[in-house]
Amino acid sequence: MEEFFNKIKENFKDATLEFETINIQIDSTDWIEVHKKLRDEFNLKFFSWLSAIDWDNEVSVGEAPKESVSPSFEIITCLSDLANTNLVTVSTSISKSEPNINSLIEVYDGANWHEREAYEMFGINFENHPNLEKLYLPDGYEGNPMLKSFELISREVKPWPGEVDVEGMPEESESDESSDG
Amino acid sequence: MNHRMVNALDPQNMNRFSEASVSVEIETEDMTLNIGPQHPSTHGVLRLVAKVDGEKVHDVKPVLGYMHRGYEKLAEVRSYPQITTLVNRIDWVAGFSNEIPFIAGAERLMEIDVPERAKHIRLILTEMARISSHFVFNGAYALEVGALTPIFYAMEDRERVLDLIESVTGGRFHPNFNRIGGVKPAAGAGPTSKKNIQDLPAGFYRDTKVAMEKVIQAADQFQNLIGGNEVFKKRTKNVGVLTAETAEAYGVSGPILRASGVKSDLRTQTDYLPYDQFDYDIPVGENGDCYDRWDVRVKEMVESAKIVLQAIDSMPSGPLQAKVPKVIKVPQGRTYVRAENPKGEMGYYIVSDGGLGPYRLKVRTASFSNVSILPIMLEGALLPDLIAIMGSLDFVLGDVDR
Repeated sequence: MEEFFNKIKENFKDATLEFETINIQIDSTDWIEVHKKLRDEFNLKFFSWLSAIDWDNEVSVGEAPKESVSPSFEIITCLSDLANTNLVTVSTSISKSEPNINSLIEVYDGANWHEREAYEMFGINFENHPNLEKLYLPDGYEGNPMLKSFELISREVKPWPGEVDVEGMPEESESDESSDG
Repeated sequence: MNHRMVNALDPQNMNRFSEASVSVEIETEDMTLNIGPQHPSTHGVLRLVAKVDGEKVHDVKPVLGYMHRGYEKLAEVRSYPQITTLVNRIDWVAGFSNEIPFIAGAERLMEIDVPERAKHIRLILTEMARISSHFVFNGAYALEVGALTPIFYAMEDRERVLDLIESVTGGRFHPNFNRIGGVKPAAGAGPTSKKNIQDLPAGFYRDTKVAMEKVIQAADQFQNLIGGNEVFKKRTKNVGVLTAETAEAYGVSGPILRASGVKSDLRTQTDYLPYDQFDYDIPVGENGDCYDRWDVRVKEMVESAKIVLQAIDSMPSGPLQAKVPKVIKVPQGRTYVRAENPKGEMGYYIVSDGGLGPYRLKVRTASFSNVSILPIMLEGALLPDLIAIMGSLDFVLGDVDR
């Protein structure tokens, strides 16, 4: 793994190794070339998944980021090498006003469904995708459910009762650091 | 598609017809065949829109989403302990295995060292989940290719394993047994107090030994009953051949990948559970056909039973839970933990912002990638083989749609 990381470092200076995973941040214009290179030169032939993160300061579900972020979509792919433990995630940022990125299908055939999912869930447009249509959602569905601005209706109607479980539990005789059994 | 018209009345063709040849090219038209969503062999609600030309299938379009429950969105409004309940329901045939990578990811970010005993209990139950999942496959797959009997044996044998899982966790399908930092006290272990935490129910080791011996016997029985059956061989050998290269590009993992000759098993390649302490083989196929995919799973059941028997003999003593804060907050960071589930690589990409729940949780399920290969595998296949190929992928729709 160390040896492999050093080899990656030679090509991608910003690469980081954390929790046995190498993370490479790249520019969205290099999206295709970098993946081709990783596949052919680094033997990362196993396409595990592709997904996206919606970074936004104003959220209608969950908690907003603690530190202010610049609103953008982060697109992540996860690649690995079947013969050993090398695991690499590649991520890039694209703007929310023009959410366009090249489709990875020409490099990894398996990107097809993952890109369709990211398209319907986030509204990201994968250019040159042969069949960019909804994967899960029914025809005529409006909106992109995984956006942070997309409200979870049931949550709006009725607050989640489970929330009481995670707020202050009654104090027990033991110290605060007891296990939760 | 054959659209060549042969004029039988044309004198030039008369000679050909007089020889009573049946290889006459006739005009055929594609028929669109809708399979599902309610079809027993789809293991849930998968719909296939297939174009068939006579008996030949081409251009298959899987239509997903009938089972989509939006877990990734739900996870953003739930706390970490609550998500364990959700992930149970992704692949319900092996509910226990779904919890492991998620819990391991949260523990990794929180830098918790899980006690060895808890890890062993997790490992035993994960392998039992694998065995029960493969039992379902064996029964259902034989049924799909026309053998009615094996499913009755498989379900009976599986029940023995499910009873064990239930005796420990309290649930047959949805155990919800893992806690961040360890496992909860066993359900059937009797009254517990803070000072005296019982973990495994009385007689668990004895019952497990009996059940695992039965699993090994059952696998042997399947080899004879199913694998030795001529009809089964004819239906599955050299049918639906998948090459390793295609499998890799599509992210196909688990027994399907190993049946195509790739010796890849995340149990040995990663350290989410202490598999390195045990001695077991990784069964690998040769041809990547339906028969190999079946064969690999039957052999895996035996290996899993062996792992469980070893784990019981070497069960360490000690606590079930590491010390964890009362309110679980996962520090800022991100991690991807993957595990070898019965159906292949399952992983959770946790993006934490230091809150009570994840900022984003990406669920990578095995069946999703495994099913995405269907259009490739079914291209040019015969219609009767469609079910045989589809069944050999052993997917669960909860695992595809999430």
